[in-house]
Amino acid sequence: MPRFQIDDRVIESAPGMTVLNAAEAAGIDIPHFCYHPAFPPEGSCRMCLVEIEGLPKLELACSTLVKEGLKVRTKSPKVIEARKGVLEFLLAEHPLDCPICDQAGECKLQDYFDEYGLFHSQFKEAKEKREKKFRLGRNLILDRERCILCTRCVRFLEEITKTEEAGLLNRGIRCEVGVFDSEVVDNDYSGNLAQICPVGAITDSDFRFKTRVWFLESRESICPLCSRGCNVYVDSHPGYPRTPRARRVYRVRGRVNPDVNSYWICDIGRYGYAYLDEGRAPRLAWRKGGRDTRLTWAKAAQILTEKARSLVERGKGSRIGVILNSNLTNEELFLADRLFRKGLGVENIFLADPPPGKGDQILLTPDRTANRRGLKEAGPPVKAPGLKALADLDLLFVFGHYLASGIGPGELKAALAKVEAKALFSTHRSDLDDLVDFIIPTPVIAEKSGSLTNIDGRVQTFSAALEYEGEGLPEWRALLDLARELNVEPGLFSALTSPESVHRVLRDTVSFFK
Amino acid sequence: MEEKVLTRHFGVPDLLRIEVYRGQGGYQAAEKALKQMTPAEVLEEVKKASLRGRGGAGFPAGVKWSFVPQNIPKPRYLCVNADEGEPGTFKDRYLLTHNPHLLLEGTILASYAVGIRAAFVYIRGEYETVARRLEGAIAEAYKVGFLGEKIMGTEFNLDVVVHRGAGAYVCGEETALLESLEGKRGYPRLKPPFPASVGLFQCPTVINNVETLSNIPFIIQNGAEWFLKRGLPKDGGTRIFGVSGMVKRPGIYELPLGTKLRAIIFDQAGGMKDGKRLKAVIPGGMSAPILTEEEIDLPMDFDSLVSAGTMLGSAAIIVIDQETSILDVLGVVSRFYAHESCGQCTPCRIGTSWINKIVKRMVRGEGEADDIDSIIRLATNIKGRTLCPLGDAAAMPILSICQKFRRELEGYLRHA
Amino acid sequence: MSPEYSAALRKKIDEVASLYPKKRAALLPVLHLVQQEVGFIAAAEEHFVAAALGLKPIKVREVVTFYTMFLRRPIGKYHLQVCSNLSCSLLGAGSLLDHLQRKLGIGVGETTADGRFTLSEVECLGACEQAPCLMVNFDYQGQMDKDKIDRLLESLE
Repeated sequence: MPRFQIDDRVIESAPGMTVLNAAEAAGIDIPHFCYHPAFPPEGSCRMCLVEIEGLPKLELACSTLVKEGLKVRTKSPKVIEARKGVLEFLLAEHPLDCPICDQAGECKLQDYFDEYGLFHSQFKEAKEKREKKFRLGRNLILDRERCILCTRCVRFLEEITKTEEAGLLNRGIRCEVGVFDSEVVDNDYSGNLAQICPVGAITDSDFRFKTRVWFLESRESICPLCSRGCNVYVDSHPGYPRTPRARRVYRVRGRVNPDVNSYWICDIGRYGYAYLDEGRAPRLAWRKGGRDTRLTWAKAAQILTEKARSLVERGKGSRIGVILNSNLTNEELFLADRLFRKGLGVENIFLADPPPGKGDQILLTPDRTANRRGLKEAGPPVKAPGLKALADLDLLFVFGHYLASGIGPGELKAALAKVEAKALFSTHRSDLDDLVDFIIPTPVIAEKSGSLTNIDGRVQTFSAALEYEGEGLPEWRALLDLARELNVEPGLFSALTSPESVHRVLRDTVSFFK
Repeated sequence: MEEKVLTRHFGVPDLLRIEVYRGQGGYQAAEKALKQMTPAEVLEEVKKASLRGRGGAGFPAGVKWSFVPQNIPKPRYLCVNADEGEPGTFKDRYLLTHNPHLLLEGTILASYAVGIRAAFVYIRGEYETVARRLEGAIAEAYKVGFLGEKIMGTEFNLDVVVHRGAGAYVCGEETALLESLEGKRGYPRLKPPFPASVGLFQCPTVINNVETLSNIPFIIQNGAEWFLKRGLPKDGGTRIFGVSGMVKRPGIYELPLGTKLRAIIFDQAGGMKDGKRLKAVIPGGMSAPILTEEEIDLPMDFDSLVSAGTMLGSAAIIVIDQETSILDVLGVVSRFYAHESCGQCTPCRIGTSWINKIVKRMVRGEGEADDIDSIIRLATNIKGRTLCPLGDAAAMPILSICQKFRRELEGYLRHA
Repeated sequence: MSPEYSAALRKKIDEVASLYPKKRAALLPVLHLVQQEVGFIAAAEEHFVAAALGLKPIKVREVVTFYTMFLRRPIGKYHLQVCSNLSCSLLGAGSLLDHLQRKLGIGVGETTADGRFTLSEVECLGACEQAPCLMVNFDYQGQMDKDKIDRLLESLE
């Protein structure tokens, strides 16, 4: 474990670490552009040069390995001068685009200039004129004037997706990032290029000109669109006091997790955030005779539990049915199991999920649900919903709006028409809305807290990245309320008040979660 | 009369033919080494001879060879650096044109010493006709069993392939050469690791200049002592000096290390052409800082030139006359490095271009008072900060011109 | 309609590729061969070479645009490459370049209307002892002056 000195601190680091990484681990930031932890050191931006005692020239922190007794200075006059030098070079040929550049507010060039530069330009010559709206592919726009040739984009396409769509063309000051004619970047991880570009050279056309990043709140969440469970940031606008905002969610970005998704997310997760704001189930309603009556959850719960109680007391528990989905959290699935299967003895527990899609060797799984594994480990045994089985029910709880997929609409309508009472707990509007009696809107994963189990069996806890603004309630709260109304297992349910408390019980009772 | 080593047989007609070369004693050193010496003995002899690299960096060849690990299961490679891009330099062209077998024999000896079975001659693309001659010599060597399998009836195998570059000065830098040889853009690599451990195709590799390798047969044939006597105590052998510019007799001159620069210009090369007066001399290829006419009384060896604030480099002497505007010289220098910068690292890519833009503006008559200081500042920000030595190669001559000829440059600025 | 490349060229490409442990290493030699046959390396040639060496076309273009000797468009029959580096400049390369431009009626980088001559300015050719020097295709012509240039141009059909 080599110990080395950096500025006025002595740090112990793991063998084989670079000065940059060891410093970062100790909370000392060394500025850099081309270095990215996912790739081997590149050494071309020259921003991370530091002074090492005993060596005549400044050395790169990103590629110099820590040795016992090394003495590094990151703030000496020579180092500051070198940083200013690099900044001056970069800014000399960089367009004054900040007012129109989407990267403003999260741009390394801006940040470092603010911290290490703040000098006046002495560049009197004509800047190189280059293409500013090159369609790099999918949602990517390349502005070659802004590009600092850190080559992160080229390296990503070589090392991560191994699709090699981009390359470096020309030589010297004429160097530029390019593709081969019409063979643009067209893989499912293209969005990462805009995220790793340290400046506004590669920007996201999906985000272009929509807002400024300092207006957004960036909160952590888990992507629920497949069973990888990639860690993400959801960037949303919190709203103005008196003016309506244009939209709530502006973008989703990848968040690092070395055990799950490294630094990346796929385009389906990155660009598929429309579901967070669009087509949401609006109102808690009781659909009677083609008309919607507003009601409270308390009232709906009362009606549903009365129905359930009466069926159970008359020995007709087998006429209660539940449809679950694999996007429920571990806690919700656990509660569903304890309430329906164990508590009420319900056997008709079905599963209706979104259809699978293609997967790849990187992150995306064919299973497009967030918690299939959680269902297996925490939830009840489930079966596929059959029309005949559904038609024999008197009371049906439907969690999720996926039932319609895979079953003909006419047949489903006919089957459900025979069910006396149907309650739909759903995040979004769907055709099911017309086939049920009670519509209870629910928050999406980004709007609640709990835990999910990914395809590798990794349990990930998360909390809300967005405020839920609907009239409904999360499924875990609904299940707790139903259980209390029905007086199921009071010893268990009375103590449960939050996803955290449910999670604690889950850990104590189910061996998988220990 | 100094004894020639490398160029001693240049006058012999058809020297490029193997039977003529052998008639002059060629390939005897190779035979001696392969049949009577161990690889370690060959390496030791070259080390003792203190042969420093003739490409520009001057790193001792024997020491470089000894860095190659012998006990790892990867193939080892030799790359002959025949890129000769340093402006003012043309000595390797002479060696390759007139005596390609000398290089091949040196290649065989170096490969034997280091345990190499495959050698690539990276020759600049413009030397097309020279490359053809070399390929002819290689074919001859294969034919008589001096290349290929079981060379000269021993167990030693060696293949030699000629690989042409395509117009990039940066590919003279050893790691850029490797990248280019691997079929990529000539982008220098980070060092460490050094090519001796991680080189061509990630295998241990030796890169040597043409002139360096051409000396090896003489070292092996005559011994290290003999070689040292022809140079300086820690710097064996002769150098082929290339003289060009405003002199009466431009050309190559093989002379002992330590020969005085003034003597080379005025005795060997006949002095100034057309009655012109000397203004400045670039002593070691364009990357070597310039010397004024008061500074040329020094011996041409590595250490003396370093003490004088310049370098021996490729021993290419460019003589500049008083009638030539130093601004024009600066213009050629700054244009060259801007054009040849590979573009990988920030200071060189942008710095050389920026300096070039300023100088071009000065040449147009639009120079301003702070331009010279700007150039000095930019060159100082390039120096020592770049990924490869090309940055220094650009910065140092530009700095030397601005510092030593400042007065004259100021005369070209726009007067307020 | 993609151009046809001769069987001889394809054969030579295979031979050259076999000299290297990795096919990609043959890229520069192969590009030289293709340029020799076709005269330049445009998109069709880049595709062809990429396929022959198992590379993505963009990787071929990366190399073609890096090295100055690879031409992306057709040029004249005789490529007059005038060195304008230091020794040649000292000995009058500038005025020779002017002379050529006047005589041929084209600028640097341009080709005569009859397709005979293309004029380029190049960096040091490694023939400084013969300054001022130029290269016609691959032939070095040294110690040039205006008369020698005129005679050279006449000799090139």
